[in-house]
Amino acid sequence: MHNLIADYLNKVVSGCSAKVNEVSIGDKSITIDSSFVLEVCRALKTSSEFEFNVLQVITGTDYPDRIEISYILASFTKNLELILKANLPRGDKSNLPKINSVVSVWSAANFQERETYDMIGVDFLGHPDLRRILCPYDWDGHPLRRDYVVQEKYLDMVVNPPEKNNTDDQLFGKRLKEQLGDPKKVSASWKDSSASEESEAKDGE
Amino acid sequence: METIHLKKHIEPDLTFTQWFKNVYGAVKTTAIGMGITFKYVWGRDVVTIEYPEVREELPSNSRSRLFNDAENCISCLQCAVACPVDCIYIAAVKRATDAPKIKTKDGTPIRLDLKQYTIDTALCCYCGLCTTVCPTECLTHTTDYEFASYTLAAMKYDYLAPEIRAWRTRIVKA
Amino acid sequence: MSSHTNTNENKIILGDQEVLKSDLLTLNMGPQHPATHGVLRVEIKTDSEIVVDAIPHLGYLHRCFEKHAENVDYRGVIPFVDRMDYLAAMSMEWGYALAVEKMLGTEVPKRAEYIRILVAELQRIASHLVFFGTYGIDLGAFTVFLYCFEDREEILRLFEELSGARMLYNYIWIGGVWNDITDDQLARVAKFVDRFEGELHKYNNLVGENKIFIGRTANVGIITREQALDYGATGPVLRGSGVKNDLRKDRTYGMYDKFEFDIPVGSGEKGTTGDCWDRYNVRIREMFESVKIIRQVLAGIEEGPVMGKVPKIIKVPAGEIYMRTECPRGELGYHLISDGGKTPYRLKVKSSCFTHVSLLPAIAPGQMVADLVASIGSIDIVLGEVDR
Repeated sequence: MHNLIADYLNKVVSGCSAKVNEVSIGDKSITIDSSFVLEVCRALKTSSEFEFNVLQVITGTDYPDRIEISYILASFTKNLELILKANLPRGDKSNLPKINSVVSVWSAANFQERETYDMIGVDFLGHPDLRRILCPYDWDGHPLRRDYVVQEKYLDMVVNPPEKNNTDDQLFGKRLKEQLGDPKKVSASWKDSSASEESEAKDGE
Repeated sequence: METIHLKKHIEPDLTFTQWFKNVYGAVKTTAIGMGITFKYVWGRDVVTIEYPEVREELPSNSRSRLFNDAENCISCLQCAVACPVDCIYIAAVKRATDAPKIKTKDGTPIRLDLKQYTIDTALCCYCGLCTTVCPTECLTHTTDYEFASYTLAAMKYDYLAPEIRAWRTRIVKA
Repeated sequence: MSSHTNTNENKIILGDQEVLKSDLLTLNMGPQHPATHGVLRVEIKTDSEIVVDAIPHLGYLHRCFEKHAENVDYRGVIPFVDRMDYLAAMSMEWGYALAVEKMLGTEVPKRAEYIRILVAELQRIASHLVFFGTYGIDLGAFTVFLYCFEDREEILRLFEELSGARMLYNYIWIGGVWNDITDDQLARVAKFVDRFEGELHKYNNLVGENKIFIGRTANVGIITREQALDYGATGPVLRGSGVKNDLRKDRTYGMYDKFEFDIPVGSGEKGTTGDCWDRYNVRIREMFESVKIIRQVLAGIEEGPVMGKVPKIIKVPAGEIYMRTECPRGELGYHLISDGGKTPYRLKVKSSCFTHVSLLPAIAPGQMVADLVASIGSIDIVLGEVDR
């Protein structure tokens, strides 16, 4: 089925370079060139053969070298399901990666694109109302990026104040090690960034 | 100047017979509804309980207050690893080789001396994952559900402290 | 924010008549409002009683589920999943467990499959009962709320005995279910189902057939078939608009293919197809269908283990999967991406309530404020699932 869709897309939208990702486990997907998203989505919706009349979800995944936007489409008339993917460069805070909005194809894309903008930081060109949706409107950063660091202060409120962090309990094991002078004798549950404790936590499993 | 068009469902004009039908329907369906409610006036058992005077007994596998029987704990850290919110803090020291050998209730030898066993129940989500991995079944959910406290610090249970160990007789069932 | 900010210059035409022009009033409905079923804030612009524009503001219950899921192991995700739709936690767990099981290739024992369907359908009844009760309150009928919660209590008590918790069960695990169900409990379910069917007829006579209730809901908040598909609505909202779509039949999972049941579809019995009454009626009829399924489960349940073979440390092979299940409020989709490690690389949740909230700006304009309350109630959102 995926091969048929890819052939159809290559035929209708020239240059979209649709490619099927073959997998042994899980779901197959189709990757397309990110600049043709709008045309591809319109072609999939209007095609009489597949009729992808419903946009289920738009989501982004942050990989070390790229951001992958997945459009999950469904056809309620033909009972089909498709994961459509487009790769974008990661960009940075001042220069978010850009992709065309598909709100003109499915109205469902409105909230989904807002969420993807909020969480992953992708600029959807042509979106009527691109605001944050789950985070506060003046929040800083895009939380689902892998390199996201929580801002220290939000509106004069300290984020994660130390008195709520149970630091004493977490460091109890570490202090015990220092006291005894023999780290091998102590096993503690709190995973520190140091490698020795990491291995002990594995022993615990 | 901007014009906003709003859609509206337009009802057809009401005829005289339709008006009477509407009145009849309203009276009839309301009477049916009142009849159903009226049956509840007599012959119904009370389904609520007067809480502080009458206390409900929870099912035996109910997931309420956590209790760790520290004497049977072998410090395996499995509960801390399984905990999805990381609210269990454990530290243990290896027992000296010449120390007297001790065992848990089910016969597992204890090789580590427990130095810290603290659960911050303010963070705990009562999912029960820690109790299912416990090999000696010393960490259990009890059916004790009345443990509101005034401070966050009081929600932190140090199971090595004598006053918390003393709960054992009260909340752990055989 | 919105295009109609220059309020005094506007001319408003409702239907075919121009309404008496007054200043637009901006009103915040929520976050703490009894009719928004949680912490939804709807910023509405009204011209006297008529809503001109409604903008939902979300995020008051955002708990970073997707970020958390990247940092806990596969078993540890389940307690978080519970907290999304806290009124239908069993259905939430089942979708996640199915996604991981499909990736692992785990066989789920027969008895566990039966128990899963049993608890999921009981959960559907419990969840629809909450809708039923609170919808009555929204429209000014208080009595039915008490009746519904009495029946729901019986379901919750059974779940408490099964799993140990009343609402956040952590009961459906990867590979099976946590505890076995006893014959005694099955007999209780059978007794409950028999009693409940009669009670539900009674409740429906009390509320659904009532002339005042019909007056409040028929021809109100109409979602057309095209609108529902365009906005990606699923579940009772989509079926209320006349689209026959149910994942339990269309893309069957678990053992639903072995069960006989119908898919209720709204037909505009009391007004227009896709109005609030249709959505209400679809949910009521779904409860009868659930009762049917439960009877078949009770007749066919087999003896055996309830937990399949799952490795002690779950490592899902690299790959991705999109698993859809039919929850009481609509389709729930888990897009799970794994890189072969102990934690999910990315777990995206497609929440039906989130898409249903996006329908509000489309259906609200032209309604009275009181009808907006009826519309929000009829799409039955749980804010825990909207904000995740």
